[in-house]
Amino acid sequence: MLGLGIESTAHTFSCAVIEKKGKKGKILSDVRKIYRPADGEGIHPREASRHHIENSSLVLSECLDEANVKVNDLDIVSYAGGPGLGPCLRVGAVVARSLASFYKIPIYPVNHALGHIELGKLLTGATNPLVLLVSGGHTMLLAFLNKQWRVFGETLDITLGQLLDQFGRSIGFASPCGKNIEELATTSSNYVTLPYSVKGNDVSFSGLLSATKSVAKKSKVDACYSIQETAFAMIAEAVERALSFTRKKELMIVGGVAANKRLSEMLQDVCKRHGAKFFVVPLKYAGDCGSQICWTGLLESQIKKGVSLKDTFVTQSWRLDTVKVNY
Amino acid sequence: MKLIKKGAEADIYQTVWQNSNAILKIRKTKNYRNSSLDSKIRKQRTIKESQILSQVKSFGIPAPLVYFVNLKNTSILMQEIPGKPVHDLSEPKIIQLSKTIGKLVGMLHKNGIMHGDLTTSNFIFFKNNIYVIDFGLSQNTIKPEDHAVDLRLIKEILNSAHAKIMVPAWKNFLLGYKSVVGSTNYVKITKLVSDIESRGRYAQVV
Repeated sequence: MLGLGIESTAHTFSCAVIEKKGKKGKILSDVRKIYRPADGEGIHPREASRHHIENSSLVLSECLDEANVKVNDLDIVSYAGGPGLGPCLRVGAVVARSLASFYKIPIYPVNHALGHIELGKLLTGATNPLVLLVSGGHTMLLAFLNKQWRVFGETLDITLGQLLDQFGRSIGFASPCGKNIEELATTSSNYVTLPYSVKGNDVSFSGLLSATKSVAKKSKVDACYSIQETAFAMIAEAVERALSFTRKKELMIVGGVAANKRLSEMLQDVCKRHGAKFFVVPLKYAGDCGSQICWTGLLESQIKKGVSLKDTFVTQSWRLDTVKVNY
Repeated sequence: MKLIKKGAEADIYQTVWQNSNAILKIRKTKNYRNSSLDSKIRKQRTIKESQILSQVKSFGIPAPLVYFVNLKNTSILMQEIPGKPVHDLSEPKIIQLSKTIGKLVGMLHKNGIMHGDLTTSNFIFFKNNIYVIDFGLSQNTIKPEDHAVDLRLIKEILNSAHAKIMVPAWKNFLLGYKSVVGSTNYVKITKLVSDIESRGRYAQVV
């Protein structure tokens, strides 16, 4: 079975084709164009959606060419229905609707966060993991129970990705700033005490953000080192609490911040202590991509025939824990 | 000394003190954490936990007695409560006990203490009594916002780990809580719980 997936929740416009045979999926192509705001600035929804519109046909045709398939060969088309930025979401949805109605292909709206998890499971082979989803849009600890992903811990304010991006932008980096911060952090080992806020399995980063900004006025390097050490230690502690509470024997980390090596290193240590297996989604598929949407759409298609065009909604705040997973 | 549980932040051993069974809770160094951050967290929490364990007993919360505190290896030696965590009880039993748990949390709040880690594993059912344990994240605070954070956490745990019985268990919890803190405080704090939820990511706004 051949599926096309379209991702456009934030800065990435991406299309991917996956071939599904039984429980296995093979990514035939995954093409992306990423909107880059100016240094020190954040994502502008209107500009991002304009970027997506301008690049959509190119990405789509490149993706089909690379996979060596024609639109007519596709069995389903899926798109990210949310959560994300409204103007951006609409671009992906329009492309999907056009294909679906013109070529009469079944269409599936997919929850973006669920996409991260399902693609992670496909690529890492994790079966029943505690999931740490860390990205610009999410910071959540999840476990699957009674047909739904349940939240065992999450951020009470901003996400880990937002923390790093907003801090990075304040010292002049371009979003996404995770990589720059990580590089600068390796050149310091001078820890400056910062607010550490773990509330049960939940974390809160807003105080840490303000405090780090003032540390950066004295030393950017120490600030980068200390923000990573503090924020990741908070995440690691929340993970430990959730592992010990849920007694899961697997931990899977997905989302853009999964690319950070220091975070991986810390979580690996956590897993060792709890006798849990550690899975990280491969770097290339950690961030937003069409594959995550495509694969989840293909899984849905096992039990659903697609939705009618009038129900092909986009929802800016579509929480993962409201999605029923029946496949 | 027998290791009985590797908790999130400490190793729990069963041991003997003055001829009775006891629990030794050691907060060991976490190598993944920056060392100065690590020792600060371990020391602070060991002090806070032992202080608050003694405090809560003074106003009638069933909790383990503290026998000995060692700040050098950040450990607490305390009475063993040989019961079962509420988390592991049957669903009808959890629903029933939720009211008592609500009362206990109400008593803590009324006396200016937030627990900080209200999960169903931190209530031990023993001899028809519920004991509260694990005060590592506790704080002395009378701020309604802090009390609301406590309520939100237990709500999140009921909603995830005990999803099937969330509705009746949460209802009972609130009944118990309200009976202790009174209507005015109850209304104020549950309103704040909704406020915290609405600040969450992708919360349903209108």
